Amino acid sequence: MARLIRTEKEVEGRFEEVWLVVEEDALDQWPAGPQAIVGRDATRKDALERVRGEAKYTADLQLPGMLHAAILRSPYAHARVNKIDLSKALAAPGVHAAVGPGDAKGLEDEAGYAGAAVAAVAADTLAHAQRALRAIEIEWEELEVVLDPEDAVKRELYTAEPTTYERGDFEQALADADVVVEGTYRTSVVLHNSMETHQSVCEWVGDTLNVYISTQYVWGVRSAMAEAFDLPADKVRVVCEYMGGGFGSKNDPGEYTFVGAELARRTGRPVRCALSRRDENTAAGNRNATIQKLIVGARSDGTICALGGEFVNAVGWTGWSAMTEGPLQMLYACENVRTVRYGAKINTPPMKAFRAPGFVEGTFGLECLIDELAAKLDVDPLELRRKNYASSNDGKPFSSKNLMECYELAQEQWDRRHEVRSRSTGTWKHGVGMASQIWFGGGGPPSYAWIRIGSDARAQVVTAMQDIGTGTRTAMAQIAAEELGFPLDRVEVSLGDTSRGPYATLSAGSSTTPSVGPAVRAAAADAKRQLIEIAAQRYHVEERILDIKDGNVVSADGNVNTAVEKLVEVLEDAQILGKGARGPNPTGMSVLTFGIHVVEVAVDVETGEIRVERVYAAHDVGRIINPLGARSQVEGGIIQGIGHTLSEVRLHDPESGRILTTTLDAYRMPTIADVPEIVCAFVDRPDEHLTNLGSKGLGEPPIVPIAAAIANAIRDATGADVHELPISREELLRALQSAKEKERRGAHAAV
Amino acid sequence: MELTRPSDVADLDGGIFVHGGTEVVPLVRDGILSGAKLVDVRRVVPRGVDDGVIGAGTTLAELEVDPQIPDALREACRLAASPQLRNMGSLGGNLLQATRCWYWRLKYPCRLHGGDRCHAREGEHREHAIFANDFCASAHPSDVATALLALDARIRTTRRELALFELYRVPDENDRDVVRLEPGELILEVHVPTVEASVYLKAMDRKKWSFPQVGVAAARVDGTVRIALAGVAPIPWLLDSPEALDAATPLPRTEWKVPVARALVARALATLG
Amino acid sequence: MSDLKLTINGHSYDVRGARVGVSLAQVLREELGMTGTKIACNEGHCGACTVQIDGVPTLSCITLAHTVEGEITTIEGLREHPLVDAFVQADAVQCGFCTPGQVVSAAALVAANPTPSVEEIRHHMAGNICRCGTYPRIEEAILHWRD
Repeated sequence: MARLIRTEKEVEGRFEEVWLVVEEDALDQWPAGPQAIVGRDATRKDALERVRGEAKYTADLQLPGMLHAAILRSPYAHARVNKIDLSKALAAPGVHAAVGPGDAKGLEDEAGYAGAAVAAVAADTLAHAQRALRAIEIEWEELEVVLDPEDAVKRELYTAEPTTYERGDFEQALADADVVVEGTYRTSVVLHNSMETHQSVCEWVGDTLNVYISTQYVWGVRSAMAEAFDLPADKVRVVCEYMGGGFGSKNDPGEYTFVGAELARRTGRPVRCALSRRDENTAAGNRNATIQKLIVGARSDGTICALGGEFVNAVGWTGWSAMTEGPLQMLYACENVRTVRYGAKINTPPMKAFRAPGFVEGTFGLECLIDELAAKLDVDPLELRRKNYASSNDGKPFSSKNLMECYELAQEQWDRRHEVRSRSTGTWKHGVGMASQIWFGGGGPPSYAWIRIGSDARAQVVTAMQDIGTGTRTAMAQIAAEELGFPLDRVEVSLGDTSRGPYATLSAGSSTTPSVGPAVRAAAADAKRQLIEIAAQRYHVEERILDIKDGNVVSADGNVNTAVEKLVEVLEDAQILGKGARGPNPTGMSVLTFGIHVVEVAVDVETGEIRVERVYAAHDVGRIINPLGARSQVEGGIIQGIGHTLSEVRLHDPESGRILTTTLDAYRMPTIADVPEIVCAFVDRPDEHLTNLGSKGLGEPPIVPIAAAIANAIRDATGADVHELPISREELLRALQSAKEKERRGAHAAV
Repeated sequence: MELTRPSDVADLDGGIFVHGGTEVVPLVRDGILSGAKLVDVRRVVPRGVDDGVIGAGTTLAELEVDPQIPDALREACRLAASPQLRNMGSLGGNLLQATRCWYWRLKYPCRLHGGDRCHAREGEHREHAIFANDFCASAHPSDVATALLALDARIRTTRRELALFELYRVPDENDRDVVRLEPGELILEVHVPTVEASVYLKAMDRKKWSFPQVGVAAARVDGTVRIALAGVAPIPWLLDSPEALDAATPLPRTEWKVPVARALVARALATLG
Repeated sequence: MSDLKLTINGHSYDVRGARVGVSLAQVLREELGMTGTKIACNEGHCGACTVQIDGVPTLSCITLAHTVEGEITTIEGLREHPLVDAFVQADAVQCGFCTPGQVVSAAALVAANPTPSVEEIRHHMAGNICRCGTYPRIEEAILHWRD
């Protein structure tokens, strides 16, 4: 039964109120723990084709007559195109079309950063297109460049108005505190660098636009392209069955798709527009740098009574300002909080959502600050977290919160720290650190799924969702198989095509499992009900004593026990169609995910080398659908987090604003040699208020606390307070020197 | 572009020499190296190790597992680059590799490109030099050249024999080249003397596949120790003594390299005994 | 322009009129339709394009097609290798874009050394970047490839 409701929808930490048509979600959750299929390891349905190189990505697509586009990008950090002449480029060998500012969305005549797209050509080969770009004549007018985010804030150059928040009486509480710790924390610009660069192939067939694109959101690309080209949305087909990583950077069409579609329209040929790796390092989005001035006040018994922060997000020329202050507001039971957050508008390439935007950066600052408080209070850092545990989100109850259980799971790991420290030698110091994780992950409506069963007793789940590498395809198959009572190998999933299957939400913000999963279960329940109805008629039994288990129709009294194939063979060409929709989120509750990382490090105090030796990760994300896939997500998030903690930083030239780290030898991501021992644990308790599954998303939680846990482990090992990411040798040696001086001063004072 | 594949030194006639191609192919694609002819020298340059004489066509992967060569050289090969690059890259090519300085690689009109500025000195220089960095602050990236410098290796080219030390020069106003090869001159062999002991230590930004932040090679012959550093100067840097680090001239954001170098030099010397 | 003769996965291929300077990766993907070999950086930094030449892992994106001597093995030639199933079972794949290159490097490693240690695995696989972080799973796949 359909209902129209108003609900709050959250994606990547951004909230909006929406009106939605939802269907009643009437299924009871399964009991906690592994079921027949859900909650058990399952190898990926699409692993074989990916491993063999048989899966076709957008990068592999070759359409007959396909042209190649190249984009001309501004060499200036801020400049206006006063005059542009495309004629020589159009006349260049192999060129079929050329576009400039105003001809396609994403081509601007005011370039706000070095790398901004200005013009493009389509030619027979990429080499022809790149050569033709040099023939484009532009009269540039250079404009003022602002690169320093603090300078931008002083001048009130914002991407959006500052966001302030206050609860309680921060000033008074801080004044009354027995102990105050403050510090400035900085995080650097980090790049997604998915292995498949941003790219698409656009093709007009009659008045229909086909878009093959490496994306996290086929439906979003469909709406955006329809709007840009003034088409009815169902005249746009978006296809993405396999894509090589996104991490938040591929939620929209991107200028390369608007440009490609326009060039395709002008030439009547399919047009591929792909970013090079250098362009990927420049103009494909990033996790913005932050500057966080934080302060915490506590009573001598360890109760945190005041938390405050001033946050500067170096957003870039455009983009949105992520909720860096979120962890500080939400993680601890502190009654007096004040935050202000600025989105600095500067002439650098704009941010794009990157795996828990804002919360990764904010957790680093907050969890280091709290650890420094623990040091000053001389209390166990994990005890301090327990003491200030929040049982509600500023008065709003949690739909479920098992962070205390995560702490319990981690206790044994935490207790290893004495033994770990004892391994320290003169040069190599060993230590253990921890950090808590809080983030979203509840997903929300709408999302839909269909299930189709034919006379071969095989089920196909059909929904236009994405599997961006997280294994959601397999999780959906497990959910359908569990509900239907089918073996897993008789369930397949068709996804990634807006012309084939109903709407599914984007694969970002840890949304897919909690959003599409319940819809798939509902569709399976619908299909199963129909199978039961047929069985009741065929075997002259009441529906209520019938069930399907492991591919067999069975009755409670034991009289019926038939393979589903036998049941449905009568269908011949007829099919059973089940449909399901994602129901509403619980009202008046905060749906969040939680966890803890406990990290063991070794630090060479003379050379500044850091070895992350072991990470123990306990996460609370509701019911785990596929433990095998879940462990992979945790490992992957931790490894990606080690990158932004130790070695990844996007650098720009301070004079021209141009990006300097454009290649993968300069922008250094972890290799297999940088991986610590990783041990995962899950609370695996369903959120009883959340959908028919009780599952939350796991894509982002594992990357949130790792940086702070490593920094805290370094403090435990050496006494050094690192305040900056990445923790380069330079930063670590500075912090070690600072700690030595503090010790000398302290020793001197004690005399 | 034309591609030729001579079978004899006598057939060499200009062009851009390419062996493994790991440096030349990307530089040609970027337009940093330009010319009409690529000359595949794999049939001309000797390959293999024979009692201290290493063919310049020997790959780093081959050297990495060779028990005959000194420890410092083998370790420098083992720690260099990635497995695939070691499989492809020749010893001779490795000695001639250019700096990773982003300004140079992105074709800023800097001093090494014939211009009149060092953009790194005034700009982003956190991976750059601490010695001989007044004119050009680039850092030399070769672990292998540094090890060979400490080993006091000699090289034989198509034209002459010279100490590896003489192969490199600090760029200046009159000459921007860091390598002293004449046009058309090709490295054929590297001669590595026997040493009593040698070691190579490397500080890098991730555990493998990373250029040296600071690399220290040390070799002992007849009780005398030679020390060479990678990543600290526009060329592989011979250090007269550990105290010579006191004379380093770091830039504001390369100061951190000095204590790292000190620590690694001390450890290298301690290893040599 | 000149004609190319390449031996790939045991078969001989003639590529007519290939431009001198074209990379082996480009020939494989665009001329011969073998898109299993991926190009992710096109500069020899990430390993996604790894193929074997006479069994040796080589970066096809910076290998000039006209300089290739020897037998080329691509991921297409390894589709029945036990490592493929080992990767599937170990869940050593997420987005999958780096995976063919990983398998090619791993196949060369176990051909030379069927029981590599963890240290040897890390040393020989360090040139294959995986942004999704499947490394622990890859390690497990290689440790147990014969099981």
